[in-house]
Amino acid sequence: MTHQMTEPILSIRNAVKRYGSLHALDHVDLDVAAGEFLTLLGPSGSGKTTLLSAIAGFVDLDDGRITLHASDITKAPPERREFGMVFQGYALFPTMTVRDNVAFPLKVRKRAASEIADRTKECLDLVQMGGFADRMPHQLSGGQQQRVALARAMSFKPQVLLLDEPLSALDKKLRADLQWELKSLHSQLGVTFIYVTHDQEEALSMSDRIVILKDGCIQQQGAPGDLYNRPRTTFVADFLGKSNFIDADITGRHSDILHCVAKGAAFDVQTDNVDEIGNKARLALRPERLRINKPGVELLAAKVSQVSYLGERCQVIVKHEGLGDLLVSCATWQTGIKPAPGLEVSIGWDQNACVVLAAD
Amino acid sequence: MMPISAFRIFFQTGAWAVLAFLVLPLLIVIPVSLTDTSFIGLPRDGLSLQHYENYLTDREWLSATWTSIWIGVVVASLATALGTAFSIGCWFLSNRASQIARWILIVPILVPPVVQALGFYRFWVQLGLIDTYAGVILAHTLLALPYVSISVFAALANLDRNIIRAARGLGASVWQTTLAVVTPAARPGMMTGFVFAFIVSFDEIVSVLFITVRGVTTLPKMIWEGIQENIDPTIAAVATLLVLLTLIATAIGALRRS
Ligand SMILES: Nc1ncnc2c1ncn2[C@@H]1O[C@H](COP(=O)(O)OP(=O)(O)OP(=O)(O)O)[C@@H](O)[C@H]1O
Ligand SMILES: [Mg+2]
Repeated sequence: MTHQMTEPILSIRNAVKRYGSLHALDHVDLDVAAGEFLTLLGPSGSGKTTLLSAIAGFVDLDDGRITLHASDITKAPPERREFGMVFQGYALFPTMTVRDNVAFPLKVRKRAASEIADRTKECLDLVQMGGFADRMPHQLSGGQQQRVALARAMSFKPQVLLLDEPLSALDKKLRADLQWELKSLHSQLGVTFIYVTHDQEEALSMSDRIVILKDGCIQQQGAPGDLYNRPRTTFVADFLGKSNFIDADITGRHSDILHCVAKGAAFDVQTDNVDEIGNKARLALRPERLRINKPGVELLAAKVSQVSYLGERCQVIVKHEGLGDLLVSCATWQTGIKPAPGLEVSIGWDQNACVVLAAD
Repeated sequence: MMPISAFRIFFQTGAWAVLAFLVLPLLIVIPVSLTDTSFIGLPRDGLSLQHYENYLTDREWLSATWTSIWIGVVVASLATALGTAFSIGCWFLSNRASQIARWILIVPILVPPVVQALGFYRFWVQLGLIDTYAGVILAHTLLALPYVSISVFAALANLDRNIIRAARGLGASVWQTTLAVVTPAARPGMMTGFVFAFIVSFDEIVSVLFITVRGVTTLPKMIWEGIQENIDPTIAAVATLLVLLTLIATAIGALRRS
């Protein structure tokens, strides 16, 4: 949110890319603020790579404009755009040493030899690869190659770094470490990051702003917390974390509280939505916003049908007569009860736990 | 254990027999080259180096050798340059048209040499290239091109296509990308291609017989004419030297690899 005040460094207007009858990008508008960590998130085939490639200049748009600092770069060749890019498969130059890989952007810019040497060393040290300068890429592990690719992308001090699923080939532990490093690198350098991932946790933990793509369209964008707590569509509510969906009838409204009823259960939802009374509404309820308790304590009576224990939390599927299966996620140390299949329980939630979704 | 070792003996004997079948006809030139007679045949009264001496002092033999060598080097250089450019271009495009172009370039390998030679002859007559070095070089370059492009394609097959994008995104023009990133990756294929192209040219006889008269004489042509006109054992001496040279080159190659 803070970034939206400033003038955008990069603007995309009405971007369209078709492959035959398929719309890989379908009228995309996007502004990127200077210094922002922006994540493009979406399922496979949603057009993330296409959008990033269009920004980088590897894909020609069928329609639309891209401007950088208010100058039109829609038709500029990739080498004129001055973006640093990190590819999913690293794409290090196999015949060059690590040092020469990182020096490459400086060499093609004909910088002085001493400057090249200094800057290369500085970048390699920044990604903790200073000791590997004379190795060849095939002598490095995946994580090390990733660091070199990062050093290479930033050695010529681009204002914008484009990263296409840079961590997806790494194992979970290494990925978590590199997430922290990337994040701290971002705040250290003050460079704008445009980051592509299909991993929602990665997106939530790293981004200033997330843009959710589906079928080449932007579904919703906002700060991670806003998106998570206020999803607008079923797709977003389901893709970013898990949700229980409830189709309810609107029965009344008191200022910004909407009263809904579904299968005998009443829901009060805080919303500035101005839906008519008598209309249908689709509600989303996060599993961790549901409380599970002894019978009679909470609002709805239900019965546990499945339990999966995840260490710090516990996922329970409970069955309510009218609403069907509901997913509840609770901290194991917090529940007063020990859920087991067949156990009679009651479930409840706070008034602001429900979100009204727009019809898809 | 018994059946396995019988099996092994059978196959090892077979392997050696095949090897002997391949190599012995070659080795027969060695005693012939050392003959003391003045016609092709096995030594009669003793060994003699007179035919080696003849080869190394005869102006015609030496000039034919030198012609074959320099034509081979020129052909190998031309074919390597053209074949590499072609393969890198196809690799960049990697579309349907480039696939078809690759197949067309490889066709000359499939055409019988005599047919090809006849084709060169008819065409070279019109171009005025008959009996010229340029004509031989051009024909050999065309024959060697497929070998270069096949080996360069092989070298590029495993190269990540994203490295073009990476290089361009980092500020390199198409030209810089080709020179600095793709060509180094193609280098092993270029070297193999160069050697192949040289051998193709150095060995080639059919086209040379069709498109040259007296003006150009290569080593294979000289040997061929030697067999036809006078059965001079110098041919065996030349052949022996070529076999030795090949063995030495192969041995050096094998040693350097290990
Ligand atoms: N060169 C191409 N030719 C035809 N269709 C393409 C091409 N590139 C992409 N597409 C299609 O465009 C759509 C978007 O592709 P894109 O690569 O942008 O997806 P993505 O969001 O990056 O997916 P992933 O997470 O799997 O990488 C896909 O349906 C894909 O099949
Ligand atoms: Mg992708």
